[in-house]
This record gives sequence, structure tokens and C-alpha cells, in this order.
Amino acid sequence: MKRTKQFLVLLILCCLGVSVGVSAQDNLQIRKVFEKYGDRKGVTMVELSDEALEGYDFSLFKSITINNDSQAADFIRACLAQDESGAKKVKQVVSNGIPTSIFLQLPPKHQLFRLILFNETFKPEQKTTLIYIESKKDSEDVLKLILKKK
Amino acid sequence: MKLKRRHNLSFEEADALIEKYYDGLTSGEEEKHLHEFLAQRGLPERYKAEQAIFGYFERKKHKPALNMKPVLNWASGIAAMLVIAAGLHFYTTANTKSNYAYVNGVKITKLSEVKSKALMSLNEVSATNNEVEQCFQNMTANDVVQQQLDIFATSEK
Repeated sequence: MKRTKQFLVLLILCCLGVSVGVSAQDNLQIRKVFEKYGDRKGVTMVELSDEALEGYDFSLFKSITINNDSQAADFIRACLAQDESGAKKVKQVVSNGIPTSIFLQLPPKHQLFRLILFNETFKPEQKTTLIYIESKKDSEDVLKLILKKK
Repeated sequence: MKLKRRHNLSFEEADALIEKYYDGLTSGEEEKHLHEFLAQRGLPERYKAEQAIFGYFERKKHKPALNMKPVLNWASGIAAMLVIAAGLHFYTTANTKSNYAYVNGVKITKLSEVKSKALMSLNEVSATNNEVEQCFQNMTANDVVQQQLDIFATSEK
């Protein structure tokens, strides 16, 4: 009985340890976007881990581009509204009262800087893009690099 | 209650040995028997004093050794858990550290294609952003002043 108790205590501690080690994006709402729309038609989803991407030094890069789906765009905006708390809004473009471009700098987690980039265009067709980036580099530097590259 | 006695020492024999002990006449062997008798549980009240004396001497004689068993139990448990945690960590990171893309529900794992898709999505975001910045840059201070004056001009009419 005593041994079982001891085992359970250690198991709980172990689970706590593992839960601390889970990915930094796991408690973000935008995770649902990737899960929900990732493998649908008209959608392009990308995940890259620890890969050099033309000079970008990302620990994790996730992006999703959804074509002609206004419901998905609204869902992303709703998720972003929740993820905004505690984050620094670097940029927001509002068109007809609806945010069409949002750049969020999230507080660092597990020594990783995190960025969320959202953009929606309507010409030539409706295209919604959501990007999540984790990097060891300062998110401001990452953002500068992204904008400079174009 | 029937008392389970070791070394067949009866109460009478024990009493006699105790008497002998107080007189300082007991041998080492007898003292050992007496000690074992007194170490028993459930002895009558009259042996309490002797139990206390022998108990005291016992504690003095044998320094309490550090009981390593619980320490070893915990250590082995922790070691086992660390192995499990390391395994879980490896499993989760192995699962998350992957490079792939889904295009219209079709999975792509070719790294060059995945990277190209990643760059395309980055361009989507940065392109629009540049358009916005460009808009702001094109709009000179004079334009702003002119626009503001136009508002008053129309309201005058």
C-alpha cells in the first residue's frame, strides 16, 4: 500500500514535469485553427521545426493559408482575440471595422520568443494567412527580418 | 492472554535472573536471555522498570543505524520515473519535431517543397504589410493637411 502511494506520488510529479515540457504553443487558441483546418481542401498548412529557412532562424514555424472561407477567418480572429491577452500588439490593420492584419508579440516561453502573424486579403480572392513562430532570437529581430526580406 | 516466550524463560526464572542481575551476579549469557525476555511485548506491569533499564542500555549499546531502506526505495522510484519522463519527453519531441505541409489535404514531406510553402505564407503576410507601409509613406504631410482642409471646405458649402 505504501509502495503504491509512493508510486502514485512519483507518477504525478512525473506528469507535472512532462506537462511543463510540452510545446509553448499548446495553450494558445490558434492551435485549434491548425487542428481544425489543417488538412482541409483549399488550405495549405506548413510545419517546420529547427530548420533554417533562407536565413530565418526558427525553432518552430507553423503557417496556414485558407482560401475563400470567411468563417475560418472569423474563427481565427476569435482565437486571436483570446491569445491577445498578455501579448504586445505590434501592428493591427482594421478594414471596415474588421481586423485584417494583426501582428502579436507573445511573452517568451521556455526561453523562446513567440510571434503570431495574421493577414487577410480579398483581392484577387479571399486569402487568410496565419503564422506562428517560435525563435531563440528576439521576436522584434525576427519581425524586422521578415519585413525586410520582402 | 497466553504470552509467547522465547528461550523458555518462565516468569519465575526471569524474576530470579533479575534478582541476580541487581546483585551483579549474572553472566553475559544470562543477561542476554534476560534482555530477550524483557524485549517481549505484553509483559506484566511489574517488569516495566527492568524493560526501561534494558531498553536504555540497548539504545546506548546500539547506536541507531541510518535506515537506508526508505531512501533506497525513493531513489529507485525516482530513477524509474526519470527514465519514464525521459522516454515521454523523447516521444513528444520526436513527434513535434517534424517538417511537413498539407496542401488540399495531401501531406507533403519533401523538405524543399515544405520550405517553399513556408516562404509563400511568409510572403503573404509581409507583402500586405509593405503595401500598408507604402500607403503611409506615399501619404505625405501635405496630403494630410489638404485632406483635412477639404473636410472644412465641404462643410462650409
